[in-house]
Amino acid sequence: MYYFVSENIFAYNSGTEHAQAQRVKFFNRRAEQGRLGQAAYVTRDYNRFLSRDANAIGLNTDEVLNMYDYFQGTTHVLRQEQPLRLLSQIPVDKYHIVGHGPNYSTLEDAGRVVAKINVMPATVGLVNDITYYDRADNVTARENFDWRGFKSSVDYFHPDGRLAVQKFLNLSGETVLEVTHMNINGQLLPSMYRLINYLGHDYRFNTEEQLFLFFLNEITRQQPDTTLISDRRGLDHIVAGVQGTTHKFAYLHDIHTGDTKHPVRGKLYPAYINVLERYGGAFTAILVSTLAQQRDLQTRYPRLTIKVAPDVVIDEQTLAQPRVTLSERQPHQLLYVGRLSPEKRPEQALRVLARVVKDVPDATLVYYGYAATQEMMHDLQELATKLQVIDHVTFGGYVPSTDLQKDYQQAQVILQTSVGEGLGMNLVEAMGNGVPSVSFDVPYGAHALIEDGVNGYVVPDGSNLVMAQKVSELLLDDDQWTQMSVAAYDKAQAFAESKMATIWQQVLN
Amino acid sequence: MNFFINATMPKQKSGIEHAELKRLDLFNKNNEPVMVVLRDWDPNAHINANDAGIVDNQLINMFDYFQESLQIEPKKLQVQDIEFGALNIKFADDVEKSRYLVKSNEQLVARVNYNVDADRQVKSVEWFDGFNNLYRVDHYDSRGFISLQQWYTPDNKIGTETWQTPSGRTVIEAFHKNTMSGEINKTSWRLIDRANQVYQFDTLAELTKYFFDCLNDDYWSLDQPNVFIADRAHLGDWGLLHLKKPAYTVFHLHNAHTANARNPAAPLLNNNYEFSLNNIDGYDAVVSATHKQTADVRARFQPKTKLFTIPVGVVPDRLLGAPRVPVAERKFGKMVVFARIAWEKHLDDLVRAIGLVHQEFPEVTLDLYGYPDPSDNYKARREVEQVIDEYQLSDVVTLKGYTTDIDQVQNEAMMYGLTSRMEGFNLAIMEAISHGLIAFSYDVNYGPNEIVEDGVNGAVVPYGDYNALAQAILQVLRDPKLAEQYMTGAYESAERYSEASVWSAWQSLLVDAKESWPAKLAGMPGYRGGQL
Repeated sequence: MYYFVSENIFAYNSGTEHAQAQRVKFFNRRAEQGRLGQAAYVTRDYNRFLSRDANAIGLNTDEVLNMYDYFQGTTHVLRQEQPLRLLSQIPVDKYHIVGHGPNYSTLEDAGRVVAKINVMPATVGLVNDITYYDRADNVTARENFDWRGFKSSVDYFHPDGRLAVQKFLNLSGETVLEVTHMNINGQLLPSMYRLINYLGHDYRFNTEEQLFLFFLNEITRQQPDTTLISDRRGLDHIVAGVQGTTHKFAYLHDIHTGDTKHPVRGKLYPAYINVLERYGGAFTAILVSTLAQQRDLQTRYPRLTIKVAPDVVIDEQTLAQPRVTLSERQPHQLLYVGRLSPEKRPEQALRVLARVVKDVPDATLVYYGYAATQEMMHDLQELATKLQVIDHVTFGGYVPSTDLQKDYQQAQVILQTSVGEGLGMNLVEAMGNGVPSVSFDVPYGAHALIEDGVNGYVVPDGSNLVMAQKVSELLLDDDQWTQMSVAAYDKAQAFAESKMATIWQQVLN
Repeated sequence: MNFFINATMPKQKSGIEHAELKRLDLFNKNNEPVMVVLRDWDPNAHINANDAGIVDNQLINMFDYFQESLQIEPKKLQVQDIEFGALNIKFADDVEKSRYLVKSNEQLVARVNYNVDADRQVKSVEWFDGFNNLYRVDHYDSRGFISLQQWYTPDNKIGTETWQTPSGRTVIEAFHKNTMSGEINKTSWRLIDRANQVYQFDTLAELTKYFFDCLNDDYWSLDQPNVFIADRAHLGDWGLLHLKKPAYTVFHLHNAHTANARNPAAPLLNNNYEFSLNNIDGYDAVVSATHKQTADVRARFQPKTKLFTIPVGVVPDRLLGAPRVPVAERKFGKMVVFARIAWEKHLDDLVRAIGLVHQEFPEVTLDLYGYPDPSDNYKARREVEQVIDEYQLSDVVTLKGYTTDIDQVQNEAMMYGLTSRMEGFNLAIMEAISHGLIAFSYDVNYGPNEIVEDGVNGAVVPYGDYNALAQAILQVLRDPKLAEQYMTGAYESAERYSEASVWSAWQSLLVDAKESWPAKLAGMPGYRGGQL
């Protein structure tokens, strides 16, 4: 059994979660053919929307294992929509349910509000949580419902209104896990995690990390031949402590240093200290996406085992589909796929666009990805206005990677403006759909994926002028574009599932 | 079903609990179904109730009811049975405080408080987190499961209280919150009932009412009503007056209804009864233990509801059938009294009367059986002792302490004396006449002046007149024929409290309940000729 260990799955996921989810699917497809093994995406955080979010990222119930669900005995509960007006726990002969628009209703006893029922986001009238109030309007208890329609936890509060106790329930309503919030050095924090009657015994932990380690040990103990892959730098030290595994690996999804010019000696990002300098020995190997990063890390840490296993696959179906020609695409459309956050430099794409528009007046740019902050979104819009390209830009928001294919097939060029990338799943996916890439020259993905002048261009880091020139060239020369598109399609073959399976098999054994 | 409603059944019982237990016995003997309903949370409810002779399937504690723990096999639970959830646990016995200090690697994990006996059954566990905060106290039921958990605030006050089933499902919660007064008060209760429905109540009274409604539903019958007998009216009066569906509700007086028992017209009512008396017609029946109280209640409140006089004492058939002990076989001049030595019993007056009698009959003696009341540094006992000194009665009056050997003591004595300031019934003087003791009492409400019939089984003299009491005693001591007559009167007057006559009084109430039921049902909007 392979467990890919992470913190959570979100409504908006970054490349790491996508890579992990894809890897789960890929392993399980291969497992059916007797290669690789069954895999699951393991998460630590309490997330009542996990089944929705996992589903959105393409995972089914068997492919996700959350710690809280595990202890609550709810890993395999199917969704049953729970409309708040049909909730059996509400004594409807005692309380009026009074609606207040689409977002919430109240429970009223002879006209007095005793509880507020919030509607689950993006649903019509399904119960999300119920907050009860005393006669002085203090919150007494909050009951939290899972996306799948059952009461999952109850929160209690200190007299000042701050969270005091969380009780996590099994389906019979029995408390199986309690989290107490008390002062630690004068600050109110979770101070006790108590597991109740787990296989007949209670266990107490000072931190959620300790509980998570216990959980990982338990799931490892219960499955023969377990391999863990730590996908999150915040969890490396915990995974390192798990006992009884066949193998433990850590997967580095990103570049390990902000000093991209000197990856061998540049200052490590603090998050990488655990895996590379403290607990590296606990892992059979540390996995990276590119040979270049492997060489850099091996030079820097000669005692560690560093191996290469690109964390992206293109399924056979995508590779087999007819290639999309220029005439079938949106003319002169540029694409940006990724989070809108500072290290991705999305504003550089705008500056490129502003220059390209001078040569190619009908050029457009579409962003897909969620903004890390409201401010970032605002700044981009302001810049687009200032550069007079606001009419050429579309902010498409977050689109799950499974739905992005048709958007890739509309585009002519994808821009990569990040300060660094472990690989660049966006470029691989673009290539799978015949889109040439233009990237800044940063480690590690650019050179691994782009053969300069063949399936795209690698331009000097930070030079939007050169990037714009290359893009304009591509847009204005249909023959060149067609050649590069074909080269992109061809390059994508390297990530065919069968090839990746071979690589992963070698790496893991 | 008949429900007897009380708060708890403590080890130290008052007259109310004794009355209830006697009634329970009577109902059981007559195969009339009964449940003893206890409203207050009490981790020892089952031990104490069982000790008092109540079996688990006749006991419904409100918390047990919702905790689904009405009938649980008691389990021995000692410190080593507790799940501490940590490694390298060590116990240190802190004998002085009856607890173990539990540490894991020098970190205090818990303090385990135990019963002071050989078993050291765990009573409660105080839990500490890894940062030395006391965050919770678990209170165990005597049967060995966690009943109540009290969750603490960072400033070491109780924040939330949660009660759970033995399987660990939280079913009752009570919340301590800030109010506008700036104080932290219990502001709310939440119940997850047996059908998993969630209710929020402002007060324990509202929860209690809901509980009564549940009982009424559980035992609902179209043939007869459920009978709710409120033995401590104040703890469920509001609920019984607001039941959702009809029932037959009984307000049982166990004490004088006025603050000053000797004045049934006194403006101030007994606080415990005030609300019920002001809603008297909201009940189906009011029970007093004496005819006198029934008459006083009728005169003062002119209720339209039914009043019943039902003695709270029962003289068992065993006693009524026992051979009578003639005066000649008793110790001449020996008076006894069974009462706590307390202010309201006013026993110093009884000693004064004996002091006066002693001047003519040196052979007179008085034995006082009962614990001294410690309040005000045993003031009542000191007053008794002072009178003993004053009348030089140290060889005459004896403070015997508590005894259970009532039959022997009473069969050897001749007289019984009572000088209380007030009474609700006084079981002891009833027992005295059933043993043939000649009874002397002040004229006080309620009980003594009815159980003692002047000129029949003894004498009733004006309240506070110990001279008159002495004269009445002297009259009997001087006249052996009179003594014989009163003694026979005592034995015979005890028949009023025979099992048969008390049961017959209850039967008239139960018959009234049954007869009134069709009309009550017919008054229910949902009732259609027997279908509901």
